[in-house]
Amino acid sequence: MTTSRDTEHGTAPAVDGFDHLIHAPARLRICAALDPVREIEFGTLQTLLGISKSPLSKHISVLADAGYVTQRRAVRDTRQRVWVRLTDAGRAAYRGHVAALQQIVGSTRT
Amino acid sequence: METYGQVSPQEAAAALETAQRSRARVAWSGYPWWYWVATGAGLGVMAYAVALPGWWVLAFAAVVAPALYAVARAAGRARGVCEGWTGAMTPRDTAVLYGPEILLMLADAPVSEHVWWSSIAVAVLVSAMFAGTGLARGARAARCS
Repeated sequence: MTTSRDTEHGTAPAVDGFDHLIHAPARLRICAALDPVREIEFGTLQTLLGISKSPLSKHISVLADAGYVTQRRAVRDTRQRVWVRLTDAGRAAYRGHVAALQQIVGSTRT
Repeated sequence: METYGQVSPQEAAAALETAQRSRARVAWSGYPWWYWVATGAGLGVMAYAVALPGWWVLAFAAVVAPALYAVARAAGRARGVCEGWTGAMTPRDTAVLYGPEILLMLADAPVSEHVWWSSIAVAVLVSAMFAGTGLARGARAARCS
């Protein structure tokens, strides 16, 4: 499991794997969409998540800066498109974050 | 109330639900309608073929399996999602999509020896059930944001 990441908010939760960078709602949705697949085209990601182009682009840049996603250009339907995928580090961080969330939820049930 | 940094258990539960919905949308929505219909038809053909004697099953499979693979690839390109080998569906999603068809085929095995048309009926039902489930779940996933 990854270690807690002290990012944007400057706080480090007590649960291992909790990642503030991923926890932002839009970024959590992006990672959740990318986790089970190899890659998704930017426009498709926009449609699937219902996020407009500019915010989606910003969130992907934040994730890319952290090394969590990579982007590549490729032709689809005779047009250049951007494809987005989670890196191994991004996938590990996302799964660690989900495990941390489950731990937080589970702690109230035990 | 106990919290973890800035995250309460309620917020964590809501975040998990959000992640689950996003995954469900990737698993079910965005497929072109012809993917569900064509794949359903292919599965229907296979459902019919398993009741045939001897090598017919393999002959049908040799034709249908590559066709289903080609349809899946074309659908992936059309929707802009490259799923890889594992796919976005959870085991539960897979059970919902394929479970009833498999049960139907298993139930037909003893019946088809006595009723000549039962395999044809099952093939049609398998096609309709697969296409119907896929289209319905796809529409439902697209509605949930």
